[in-house]
This record gives sequence, C-alpha cells and structure tokens, in this order.
Amino acid sequence: MPTLLWADNVSFRYAPAGPQVVDGVTIRISDGALVGILGPNGSGKTTLLRLLSGTRRPSSGRVLLGPDDLTNLSRRDIARRIAVVPQETELAFEYSALEIVLMGRHPHLGLFTVEGPADIEIAMAALSATGTAPLAGRLFHTLSGGEKQRVVIAGALAQSPQLLLLDEPTASLDLGYQLEVSTLLQRLNRDQAVTMAISTHDLNLAASICRELILMRDGRVIAAGPTNDVLTPEHVRVLYDVEADVHVHHDTGHLTVVPVRRVPR
Amino acid sequence: MSIRRRIVTVVSAFAVVTAVVIVWAPTVGSTSISLARVFDTSIPWADNVDAQIFFVARLPRVLAASLVGATLAAAGVVLQAMLRNPLATPFTLGVSAGAALGAMLAVIFQLEVGVLGISSVPIMSFAGSLVAIGIVYALASSQKRGLSTNVLLLAGVTLNSFFSALILFVQYLADFTQSLRAVRWLMGDLDVGSYRPIVGAAPFIIAAFAVFAILPRTLNLLSMGDDVAAARGVEVVRAQRWAFLSASLATGAAVSLGGPVGFIGIIVPHLVRLLVGSDHRIVLPAGTLFGAAFLVMCDLLARTIMAPLEIPVGIITALIGGPFFLWLLVKKS
Amino acid sequence: MATGKKIVTTENTKVTEAFFLALFFFVSSVGYVVNVDAQQPKRIVSLVPNVTEILYAIGAGSQVVAVSSYDEEPPAVRRLPKVGALMDPDTERIITLRPDLVITYSSQVDLQSQLTRASIPFFDYRHGDLAHIMATMRGLGERTGHSAEAEQAARALEARIDEVRARVKGKPRPRTLLVFERDSGTLRNIYASAGRGFLHDMLEVAGGVDVLDEIDKESAQASIENILTLAPEVILELRSADRLSDAAMQTEVASWSSLASVPAVKNHRVMVLVGKELTVPGPRVAEAIERMAKALHP
Repeated sequence: MPTLLWADNVSFRYAPAGPQVVDGVTIRISDGALVGILGPNGSGKTTLLRLLSGTRRPSSGRVLLGPDDLTNLSRRDIARRIAVVPQETELAFEYSALEIVLMGRHPHLGLFTVEGPADIEIAMAALSATGTAPLAGRLFHTLSGGEKQRVVIAGALAQSPQLLLLDEPTASLDLGYQLEVSTLLQRLNRDQAVTMAISTHDLNLAASICRELILMRDGRVIAAGPTNDVLTPEHVRVLYDVEADVHVHHDTGHLTVVPVRRVPR
Repeated sequence: MSIRRRIVTVVSAFAVVTAVVIVWAPTVGSTSISLARVFDTSIPWADNVDAQIFFVARLPRVLAASLVGATLAAAGVVLQAMLRNPLATPFTLGVSAGAALGAMLAVIFQLEVGVLGISSVPIMSFAGSLVAIGIVYALASSQKRGLSTNVLLLAGVTLNSFFSALILFVQYLADFTQSLRAVRWLMGDLDVGSYRPIVGAAPFIIAAFAVFAILPRTLNLLSMGDDVAAARGVEVVRAQRWAFLSASLATGAAVSLGGPVGFIGIIVPHLVRLLVGSDHRIVLPAGTLFGAAFLVMCDLLARTIMAPLEIPVGIITALIGGPFFLWLLVKKS
Repeated sequence: MATGKKIVTTENTKVTEAFFLALFFFVSSVGYVVNVDAQQPKRIVSLVPNVTEILYAIGAGSQVVAVSSYDEEPPAVRRLPKVGALMDPDTERIITLRPDLVITYSSQVDLQSQLTRASIPFFDYRHGDLAHIMATMRGLGERTGHSAEAEQAARALEARIDEVRARVKGKPRPRTLLVFERDSGTLRNIYASAGRGFLHDMLEVAGGVDVLDEIDKESAQASIENILTLAPEVILELRSADRLSDAAMQTEVASWSSLASVPAVKNHRVMVLVGKELTVPGPRVAEAIERMAKALHP
C-alpha cells in the first residue's frame, strides 16, 4: 500500500523552553488505512494530529503528504487533500446542515466563486453517506449530538479529501451515538475508501474499528502495528498503568479491553 | 434556487429598498419644499431657498447618514464573525474610544488644525482612532502565533476603559461649554452642511469595503472556529488581520464623520441575520445596505420629530436599540 | 446694729446690679460689633468669574482672597490663589483659607453642604437674564457692605444700557442669528441664542430680534435647514477670545458662504465680534451691548 502521509521523526514544543510535547515520532499512514492513535490525555495525540494536518509546523522533522512537504503547501492545497473532524463544533451563528457541509467546498472554490450545482451534489452525497440527507435544511443547533457529529463528518467529506483526520470523534457522545458514528466511520473507510486516522483515548473504540494502532505516551510512540498485535495487556499497562483484560468479544469479533486494577508505574 | 441566484435576489431587494429611502429622504424635512423649485435652474442659486435646503442642508446629511450607517453595520458584521460573538460591535475593540479622545482633545485644547474645510475635530478624532487601532493591533500581534482574538478582545476592552478614563479626565479639565460640546459630539451629529467631510472620510471607507468584498465566505468559516477554518483552507491569521484592520479603519473614519453613533453596528447585523440567515455573502452586503437606510431614517426622525429642535441621532438609535434588545431577549427565552 | 447691716446689703445689691447691667451692655455691644463685622465679609472666595468681576466693580475687590481657575478679570485676580471651578471646586483649599463668604454656583450642592457643615456662609449664584446682573450687583452690595457703591455701579450700567436702547429706537430691528458656539471653519454644531436669557436680552437692547425666538430657550443647536428656512437678516457671532487674526476672521466669515440664500450672507451682514467680555454676564456687559449695537446699527 502506498504511503499517503508520512511523519518523519517529528518533534514539537509549544514554548521555546518548554517540554517536547511530541518527541521524535515517525508514522506512516497508507492509502485506505484506518489507523487509531491511542494514548492517555497529555500523550501528545492532539498535537500530533495538528502536525499531521499542517495546522502546526514541527520544530524538527517533516511531514510529507505524498511527495510534498506540508510546510511547502498552502492551507488551501492541504485542505483539498486533508480534512479534519474536531471533537466538538461550536457555532457562533445559526447555519443549516447543508450550509455547514457546503463550507467544506471552500478549498476548491475561487475567491469570488459561488458553489455551483456540482458542489451541491458533492455536499448532498456527503450528507447521504453519513445518513444525514434528511437533515439538510435543519439548523445545526437543533440536531442531536450524534447527528451534529455526522453532519460535521459530512462537511469533512465534502472537501473530497484523500485523508480524514478525526480528533476524539466520539468523546462527547452518548453510547448510542458512539456506536452510530463508529459504524459510519468503518463503513466510509470500507465502502468509499476514505483513509482515516483517529486520535482517541477510548480503547474499545480503537479496538473495534481501527485495523492499525499507534500507541503514544509522553509524546513518544511506544508501539505501532496491526491492532491485534499491538493491543496487549502489556502495552495497556505501559500506556495507562492499568492491569487489563484483553480478549476477543464473541459477538463483535473485536478485541475488547476491560480494566481490572491500577498498578504502580 | 441556486445559491448565486439567492444571493443576487436578496441583495438586490435590499438595494432597491435602500435606494428608495435615500432618494426619498432629502425630499422631506421640517420645512416643506417644492421639488419643482429645487430643480428649476432658471432661479438663480442665491435666491433658491428650496434648492439650498435640498442640496446644502439635506442631501449632504442623507449621504453622510448612508455612509456612516453602511460602514458601522458592515464593520459590525465583520467583527462579529471574526470574534465569533454576535454581541460584538464596531466599538468593542477600542476604536471609538480612541476617536472620542481625539475629538475631546480637539475641543478642549481648541486645536485649530482644520484642513480643506474639515474642522479639527474630525481630523483629531480619526487620528485618535488610528492610535487606538495601532495599540490594540500591536498588543494582539505580540503573540508568537500572530493575531489572537482573545488578546484582541482583551486589549480592546482594556483600551476602552483606559481611554474612557482619560476622556473623563480631559472633560474634568474643560470648561463648561467645552464639556457640553464634547458630550454633544458623543451623541452623534450628521448635519455636515457640506460634502467635504464626506469626501474626506470616503477614501478610507472605500478602501475598507474593498477588503470587505473578499471576506464573506472566509467569515463564514472563521465563525466556526480557528482550527476548523484552518482545516478548511483559511489562512486564519491573515484573514483576521485583514478583517480587524479594515473594519477598524472604516469605523474610525465613520466615527470621525458623524460621531460614535451607537447600536447600528449591532442592531442591523442582528436584524439582517433574522431575515436572511447567517451566510455572510448575503449578510454583509445586505447589512451594509440596510445600515445605510436605517441611519438615514433615524436621522430623518431626529430632524423632524421635535422640529425646530434637533434630537441627536445617537439618542434615536439608542431609543430604538434598547427595546429591540429587550424584545430579542424575550423572544429567545 | 441691724440697721447698719441693712445699709451695707442694699449698697451691695446696687453694686451687683450695676455690675450685671454693665456686663450686659458690654456683651451685647460686643455682639453688635461682631454682627456688623459679619455684614462686611473680610475674606471672600469666588468660584464664579463674572461674580468676581461684579465684586470688584462694587468696591469689594480688596475683600477677595481667592478665585476660580478660570478667573482672569480684573487683572488683580491673576495673582490670587485658585481654588478650582464649577466641576472641581477644591473644598479643602477653600476651607483652609478661612473664608467668611464663598460665592458658589447653585448647582454646586455638595460644596454648599460642606460649607454649611463648616459654618461658612455662601452666596448661591445662578445665571439669569440681563436684569439679573444688576440685581446680583445690588444683592452683593448689601451682603458685602458696599450697598452704596453697588447701587451706583448698577445705575451706571443701567444708564449705559438705556442709552443704547435710545440710540437704536425707531430703527428697523433685523432678525438676527446670535451664534456663540460653532466648530470653527465649518457649519457644524452651531449654538445660538433662542429667545431667552442674558444673551437674548443683550440682542434685544442692541436693536435686534432673535430669529430663534419661538424656541424660547437659553440656547439651541441651529441646524442648517433651520437657518435656511428662518433666513436671518444678520448673523452675529460672539467669540470669546482675545483676538482673531485677519486670515482667521476671513475664514470664519467665509464659512457661512455656502448658505447663499440667507439674506445675512447675500447682504454681507455676517459679523464676528471677538472679545472675552462678550459672553460674560457681569459689569462689562454694557461694553458688549454697545459693540453689538454698533454691529447691528453702524
């Protein structure tokens, strides 16, 4: 599988004299992959995602999208190829679901270009793909948590990206909506060949849909590879200082992680 | 209806209404005049009272009101989007406080730096607004990451307080008549009596609108959040810089022309959004047009309701703005 | 023996009576002297510049010990300590000067209550019409023990005013816009006399009619439309300044030229009078009226 995104030994610190929030991380995301970036809070996941999306520039190392270094690309160029789904979306004004999804077409439009029929088609397709087409005319703030998140994902899809980066996509959702969204992501990846990288601290979400995992702690990658190989009780203990029971669930066929007790470092 | 069609239709509707208001307003006032006489070129200028009332008293006034109203409304729209806050006004970031301080200094120190028929007060007030813009911009840009809206807001609010204190101090030093003049300036005055102040303010306002013309879609994205906007391809810092500078420059020019007329920058954007939604490609031009018409009407009320006495136009906008917000509050709850 | 004692006792009573009688007269005469002094305040502090001028005009100048920050006339006051003005009276300083009379504006209620607490008498002044100037003169004359001089000064003023009245009697009275405030170089923020108050009275005496009479207020902002409609025959501007350069004077007069249909502009009857005495309701008001009359009726 060709490499879509390659973070080559990237490091980042927020303040000149501050700690390395991301420390010498190397990641390869292949075309069509569904990768989970897993780690506790403060492990540098969110910052890494920012580096991968080009929102921040690494203090050392580089991020390559295909053959291009992200720092050489304009925001527009990046946005045409990489889309980001944030954890939560707070709107200052009232927009309809369709308007929000159409905003995803921005990187493909000229300065004074207005969205044409083709763009509207792409937006409606994105809404359909996330099962939210009937909500197109509804105001965003009237939607449920799950519906909102699906509309935002549709907005990211409308960017026609090669890579979708998601930051804690289910963290603020109820269990039912978590299932809804995680199933959707899996379907998009499988049926529409959307490459995805999901940053999360939810072990079971990662286990259920990601085929590969990258485990992070204190800004460093401690393990990376296929989920079944990487998600072991040993690694869970290193990551979370927790003794856990990891086994395959008989109904779903995925690994599940059940925490048992805390253990000292 | 396609998006482009919708934008054009709605904005055109606003344009028609505004044009009607602007054409109609100079024909009415506290004195009744005959339009036939106004345009009768056979009557010598010095004898044509009706024409003078129309061309010297009313028309400059209506044009000034249109310019100031359009500008304050547009600046309000831009700043609300940039700060992601529907309660932001063109005066939130300290520009009008700087303008007010400049005006006070001109009144109290009786600086006679009038240039080309524009008195010292508008010139000093514009200078004051530039100083305020400079300070706020410098403070907000001192962050390594470029322009931070939080710091911008904080700097603006702080500057407002600081300049207001200075204004009080300067008023304290003034004698009674000067204080009166200063307070009167704060209430807004559009009776320019000449086209020169309008021509003086216009270049800055036109420059700002040139920037406004390319902002609308970016404003839509900015209003969703910095990270989201960046992920959708917006150069966030650059966009915020342009938005802040253009909106502030325009506000400074408008305030130096007509004084700090309040409520336009917040009522008009709100009303327009209630009518047409939040797409800034419609809200910005529609707001501009509606702002012009709105202030022209307020000024009409100001100069006719208690004729021959004039009510300062800022009082009219405040009397309308207050109840409007009460109504908004009731409606929301 | 009893008779002798009785004689001595009567003698004692008489002496005692005489003593107390003398004491009574002494104390009451002292009291009388104190009262007379209270009618002649020795230490006057004045916060109102035009009243300061009045005090000097009625001969009470030597009793003035401090004045307001804006006092300039007569020249003698420039050496005196300053104690603030309408908005910012320096109460501490005033009380430290131990005045026995303080001239205050009637709106300075805080100051007045503080003076009352310190048992310092004050004089409550409020601007009024032309006649009020003379009334204030007479009132202060009594208060400061200069009734005769005050009467003389007031009468002299009244005489001069009557002279002007007589001179302009019978002449046509032009409708006049009496402007006392405007943004220089432009026609913005024009404030004019509007039918009442001492400026209005001055105009009437000088032989003019207030074009904004109907409004019946001490001052009003005149809009351009208003001025064009009312079409005054004379525009008389009062500038409270020492002087105006020729170039500046030309600019100011020329500011009105855009109102071409106004008779005052057409007939070149736009006049700017410059002088610090023009808008002061005090002893120099007669000069001001004379100058105005000269301008209206050369």
